Amino acid sequence: MDSKDSTSASIGLPLSRRQLLVGLLSAYTASLIPWALAQEVPEEGQAAFMALSALIAGRQTLNPELARRIYQALDRSEPDFAARTQQLLALIEEQKIDPLQLQAVLDEQYPQLAPIPRKLATAWFLGVVEVEGQARAIAYEEALNAVLVADVLMPPSYCYGAYGSWAEPPSLRSTRQPETQPST
Amino acid sequence: MAENLSADFVVIGSGICGALAAYKLAKAGASVIMLEAGPRVTRAQLLANFRNSPRRSDWMSPYPFSPWAPHPVYKPEDNGYLVQAGPYPYPAEYIRAVGGTTWHWAAHTWRYLPNDMRMQSLYGVGVDWPCTYEELDPFYQDAEEIMGVAGSAEEHPESPRSKPFPLEPVAEPWAMRRLRERLQPEYPVVGNTVARNSRSFGGRPACCGSNNCQPICPVDAQYHGGLAVDAAEAAGVRLIANAVVYRLEHDERDRIVAAHYFDPDKQSYRVTGKTFIVAANGIESPKLLLLSTSERFPNGIANSHDMVGRNLMDHPSTSLTFDADEEVWLGRGPQSPSSINTLRDGPFRAEFSAYRLDFTNISRVDSTTQRLLLDGVYGPEFEKRLRYSAAREMNVKTVLEVLPRPENRITLSDRKDALGIPQPQVHYAIDEYTRGGAQDAKKHFTRIAELMGGTNLRFTADDAFANNQHICGTLSMGNDPRTSVCDRYGRTHDHENLFLIGTGVLPTAGTCNSTLAAVAVGFWTVAHILEEQAGSQPAKRAATAG
Repeated sequence: MDSKDSTSASIGLPLSRRQLLVGLLSAYTASLIPWALAQEVPEEGQAAFMALSALIAGRQTLNPELARRIYQALDRSEPDFAARTQQLLALIEEQKIDPLQLQAVLDEQYPQLAPIPRKLATAWFLGVVEVEGQARAIAYEEALNAVLVADVLMPPSYCYGAYGSWAEPPSLRSTRQPETQPST
Repeated sequence: MAENLSADFVVIGSGICGALAAYKLAKAGASVIMLEAGPRVTRAQLLANFRNSPRRSDWMSPYPFSPWAPHPVYKPEDNGYLVQAGPYPYPAEYIRAVGGTTWHWAAHTWRYLPNDMRMQSLYGVGVDWPCTYEELDPFYQDAEEIMGVAGSAEEHPESPRSKPFPLEPVAEPWAMRRLRERLQPEYPVVGNTVARNSRSFGGRPACCGSNNCQPICPVDAQYHGGLAVDAAEAAGVRLIANAVVYRLEHDERDRIVAAHYFDPDKQSYRVTGKTFIVAANGIESPKLLLLSTSERFPNGIANSHDMVGRNLMDHPSTSLTFDADEEVWLGRGPQSPSSINTLRDGPFRAEFSAYRLDFTNISRVDSTTQRLLLDGVYGPEFEKRLRYSAAREMNVKTVLEVLPRPENRITLSDRKDALGIPQPQVHYAIDEYTRGGAQDAKKHFTRIAELMGGTNLRFTADDAFANNQHICGTLSMGNDPRTSVCDRYGRTHDHENLFLIGTGVLPTAGTCNSTLAAVAVGFWTVAHILEEQAGSQPAKRAATAG
């Protein structure tokens, strides 16, 4: 399910000015997401989105197709999304804010930026974005909360495996995966 | 109207109870029209709706909402359809669609305990049923064989049976095995009896453990009302969907002669029949009876003693969530597999509510994600905490008994729906009897957590009762017309040819899910009707059967 390798992929938008994410980040954020430094990004607004996504997701890879969908949805629904993500990234770099403290710091001190990480996290972890006041699902099987447990669980509604396979200890699933994982 | 809408039987409601009753009648050779307020739905559509829903933990979200046949919706906000009169909220959920509410259910198919039906005689609370467990046994069996109920008779001596379960028990999820092993011998953890295939049965596959029994089983491994409708139609029942019955009409002898329904454009139709069965659920059935007023019945059909809609019962739940000291990973296999049954009966029932202790196997991933997002947990810590909770979090809940109390009731509100039909209003309270059961359960909650090495114990608040959508009592059967709506066979006291089928007729709630009992009592009603009609009109039945 999480087979797409994004380490060398762009986020799939028209590339006007391809460059590497590493060139857009400060030492602090770069230190938090060393794996992402080889990511190609088309422009600075999207670079900030990718860097923030990487910080919030805390993952070694990000699905580029999902990144494209999330970016497009948020860019359409959030006023000045690109500008605000850049402001937020700059703030994180300047104040060296830990991702775990980020939401609390923003809620308390920078309420105008506070919705951004919440929306990014909801999009990546849950696969849900709000567009024009309506929550919409843009990912399910590829939402990070499914990916993060995919070695043990299938997303609900996908067959776990042959009848009775759930009676075995969960640790056995990864070794039995070729037999038990149905096509999705 | 060009079309002749007339049949031997008119069944109102196409949920599992109405559809299986219609199926039985059609199989016996009768002509049957079944009227359903909601639209047809398909499993594929519901499954797609679930996967595309932004509120996957809201089990109503995959189900289409029809303005002409509204049902209660609470998320993202309460649509106000079920008007709350208090004092305690009763946020019932049900589905108005062909097949009804068992499209999403845990497929628990418990039999009542024999003592559940003798509460007044044994414990001096509640009421006695007008029939006995032994009388219902063959009808339970028939329902179980149609629905494909899986269970172990050895594990369930509390509800005696004269024939074996149709299917072997469903394979026990690992997490439930660990509970069973670690709680014994103090608490025997047993597999639930469920209408879920432990092997191919009825043309449907065995469970594949997708952990999505609610809101929709993706492979029809569990029985549901949609399958009952398929069987009914195959047997010759004529189903009319999007037919919102708003009035029952009677003649001068108080017999019901017609059901009137609106289509979604509010065109009215009249369906005539010889016998009428209302099976439109524990809220919509009383609503229809209350709506059907006339000069002779100013308070509604079958309501001469003001009993329609009263004695509303359900199964409130309190719960404990904790983190086990080992990885059990809920979310593998069926959602609701195991229980502790030892607290479902005893002399204490004179004082406080009995209860079943129910263990969930629902994946914790979605709920943990929601919590972590609320807490602003980002970065690598998210993965760590998600995996910790998904692996270790467990939950045990009570399924508490509510006694029949006339003041807990469904009435008509002043508000009207899109077709101008008054909306149902609910008056509900949770009394000291039920609260006493919840208090008693706390020590068991604590002990269970202890035996699982539990930490981070989170009890629900003392006044926070979740609802289980087991709506019963509102059309209670009984021998006394002053305290019940229908007799022991479901025939209304006031109308010779009007019968009631569904969870509403159950006079006590017991501590188990109500669907199987309602189907079984429905079969008992159908058998009685057919027997009676065969006795009085043998020639006619023979002709119809041809």
